[in-house]
Amino acid sequence: MIRRIGLCLALAGAVPLLASVPPSAWVPMRWNGNDAKSVDLFAGTPINCLLVTSYTPQFVSEASRHGMVTLVVLKPGSDPSPPAREAIHAGLQGVVLEGDFPKGTAAHVRDALADTHAVVVELTSRARMPLGGTAAIVGTYQGVWPGIQVMANGAAKAAPSGSPWIDTNTGFIRSVRAWGPAAIWLGYLPPAHNIITGQRYEAAISDAEMAGARWIVALDTDFSARLNRADPAALKDWHGMMQVLAFFESHPQWRALHAYSQLAVVQDRQDSLLSGGILDMIGAKHTPLRAIPIERLTADSLEGASMAVDVAPDSLTPAQRGILRNFTRGGGTLLTAPPGWKGQSALASDDITLNKQELDRLNDIWHDVQTMTGRKNLGARLFNVASMLSNVLASPDGKEVVVELVNYSAYPIENITVQLLGTFKHAQLITPDGAQKNLTVYTPDEGGTGVDLDRVSACAAVRLD
Amino acid sequence: MTRREWIALISAAPLLKAAPSAPSAPVAIAKCASYSDDVTACLSTLFDQLGGLGRLVRGKTVTIKLNMTGSPAYRIEGRPLGVTHYVHPKLVGATAHLMGQAGARRIRFVESAWGTGGPLEDYLLDSGWNVRQLRAAAPGVEFENTNALGKGKQYVRFNVPGGGYLFPGYELNHAYHDTDVFVSMAKLKNHATCGVTLSMKNCFGTLPASIYGDDAGVNAPNENPTAGRARIMHQGRRQPAKPAPPELDPSSSRAPGYRVPRIVADLVKARPVDLQIIDGIESIAGGEGPWIRGVRPVHPGVLLAGLNPVSTDAVATAVMGYDPRAPHGTPPFRTCDNTLLLAEMHGVGSADLRRIEVRGVPIASAVFRYET
Repeated sequence: MIRRIGLCLALAGAVPLLASVPPSAWVPMRWNGNDAKSVDLFAGTPINCLLVTSYTPQFVSEASRHGMVTLVVLKPGSDPSPPAREAIHAGLQGVVLEGDFPKGTAAHVRDALADTHAVVVELTSRARMPLGGTAAIVGTYQGVWPGIQVMANGAAKAAPSGSPWIDTNTGFIRSVRAWGPAAIWLGYLPPAHNIITGQRYEAAISDAEMAGARWIVALDTDFSARLNRADPAALKDWHGMMQVLAFFESHPQWRALHAYSQLAVVQDRQDSLLSGGILDMIGAKHTPLRAIPIERLTADSLEGASMAVDVAPDSLTPAQRGILRNFTRGGGTLLTAPPGWKGQSALASDDITLNKQELDRLNDIWHDVQTMTGRKNLGARLFNVASMLSNVLASPDGKEVVVELVNYSAYPIENITVQLLGTFKHAQLITPDGAQKNLTVYTPDEGGTGVDLDRVSACAAVRLD
Repeated sequence: MTRREWIALISAAPLLKAAPSAPSAPVAIAKCASYSDDVTACLSTLFDQLGGLGRLVRGKTVTIKLNMTGSPAYRIEGRPLGVTHYVHPKLVGATAHLMGQAGARRIRFVESAWGTGGPLEDYLLDSGWNVRQLRAAAPGVEFENTNALGKGKQYVRFNVPGGGYLFPGYELNHAYHDTDVFVSMAKLKNHATCGVTLSMKNCFGTLPASIYGDDAGVNAPNENPTAGRARIMHQGRRQPAKPAPPELDPSSSRAPGYRVPRIVADLVKARPVDLQIIDGIESIAGGEGPWIRGVRPVHPGVLLAGLNPVSTDAVATAVMGYDPRAPHGTPPFRTCDNTLLLAEMHGVGSADLRRIEVRGVPIASAVFRYET
């Protein structure tokens, strides 16, 4: 039920508070907008933006009173402009167009809301994401559910099998971030018909946050119900999730850092929007990398890199080929996919991971990538991190480095070693519980800076200067 | 195990097969409840009970083959590898410390690191071990990955004296040759193929995957191995890379339960093991690693050390609640031949408990049944 008048009045009081939080800082969550009291749940959490499919005036009022932004979620089917206007008049601050609407719909809705300050967020398929545009937020409703997938070697019962593979969106996020500074929202839902632990939710949050995006927090039906009735176990999981979210959101400066890596990966758009591709394969080896879409390939983008992998050789313009040629002439090592090698064909709307044929094709060059990067320290080397992913970032002057770590297993990891390029005098381990512990730095045999971490639970960061 | 069961086991053993006149040596057992206990003191006591470490290692190069089975990425219930299927780094550090104190000139830790020919230090770090601490445990500590050529210039042929069961000889990393003392540091575990994996089965891991691995070369070793040794050694589907000698009889059984025990017996005959240390403080039962369905963590709380690998493994097998002379088809050798008896037949040592002097804690007091 929508009541416009009361909400407009309520909104008037909330506007100054809401206005202080720009869309790029909105921390989103899907929520049921019919229970005004439920807004209390978000007190003291980083969540400041609720995505609702229905709402009551009381709910919108209460959310505003708590300084929260509310956005209505509209899906394809009919013209979204009327319900969008209705929502804004009801006091909501924006609209989320979730799904693949006919082309031009978003512009049409923006026009319809031109007399308001409403924000229109598009959550499209990955294939249709408006990359490189001016939107403050870009998003997709698609994503892989982060977690460890054990790759069994069934053929050799008595032989040890390979390493665990981690399903992740981090490679995709890195690619999207390379297109511009827009905030990135991932709107995928928890898998249906699964029992999802708090730890898996923490991994979903961390997976996006570590790479510089935000997962639109979404709870499964059972968890929501338990949370609504204040079930202690659900509250404990909720607290853990919010602690992890707060950990990342309380360090917004990390989002402004750039990849601390001497390895550049040049990809075309199709490849870069899929999970499980070359970026995730390199990421699983904890080799820091910088993703470069071919449209953004410039001499500057390769500054400081010593190695480059070009998996889009047929898509390069002559000028871009010249850039890579100059890179090698300047001493850089370039690995190019073999002649005739072709990456992902045109991306369909339901494509988010590589299919088997594409994976087989990728294996053609993966061996060469591994051989080239090998044991080399291209920014950082991490040890005892098989169930983790990492992101190594640096300030523009390179004097501060942050190593973010996310643990996808259900168990804490002990005795992690991080070896970084460069010399740093101080190191601190920062954890979601708010602790900041000074670490002993040392010089490994290979040079650079080494630190040892005793234990990492859900996630952590090491800051060095 | 009750005293009555123990006496019954001892009495029944000779009936199964008469032990040939293979040498035996004392085996020492100590109780050590956890890795938080004073592992160094426990180990020191064991060495003293064997006559002291100094006479074995003073002024010598000591090579210690660790047991770090399988990729460090795989954990059991997220536990540290050292409390499940790897030897524990604390035991490794204690060993280095005591050997340093006893005057060892060089202490070289070796393992054929699974799936890599890279530095062993990287593998140790990936296993959560503190390499700097280990290096500081004694003077002259070094590491070598024996899965490929490593720091050596060539492989060394170890022929099996008197001829082998399966191969006439084996090509190994130089570290197994360039040493005065060879130590096998093993875990007290079951093994899916061999029934038990103790100080002798640990030596299967001396085989470089560059020559004996699934992606070994044909006419030359593959110095960047990435796989295990199932195809050549377990299953006999192809011959090892040159220059390793091929099998003596390619028409022999391809069954892993036939092949692996014989390869192990060959190896300990070809490369004698001077000292055995078996980590049974915490371990797993039901298999050698997390890739074996049904493995479970166990806490026997024991350490063993000995000077003959067959005798040491016989005592260790008894500590696990098994008859070390059990024939093929009975626990723990349900689907394999008994490695201990094969090594005994090779003349390496005696698996006859009546001929083995146990020092420290008696077997009956140390028994921890691996079968539920």
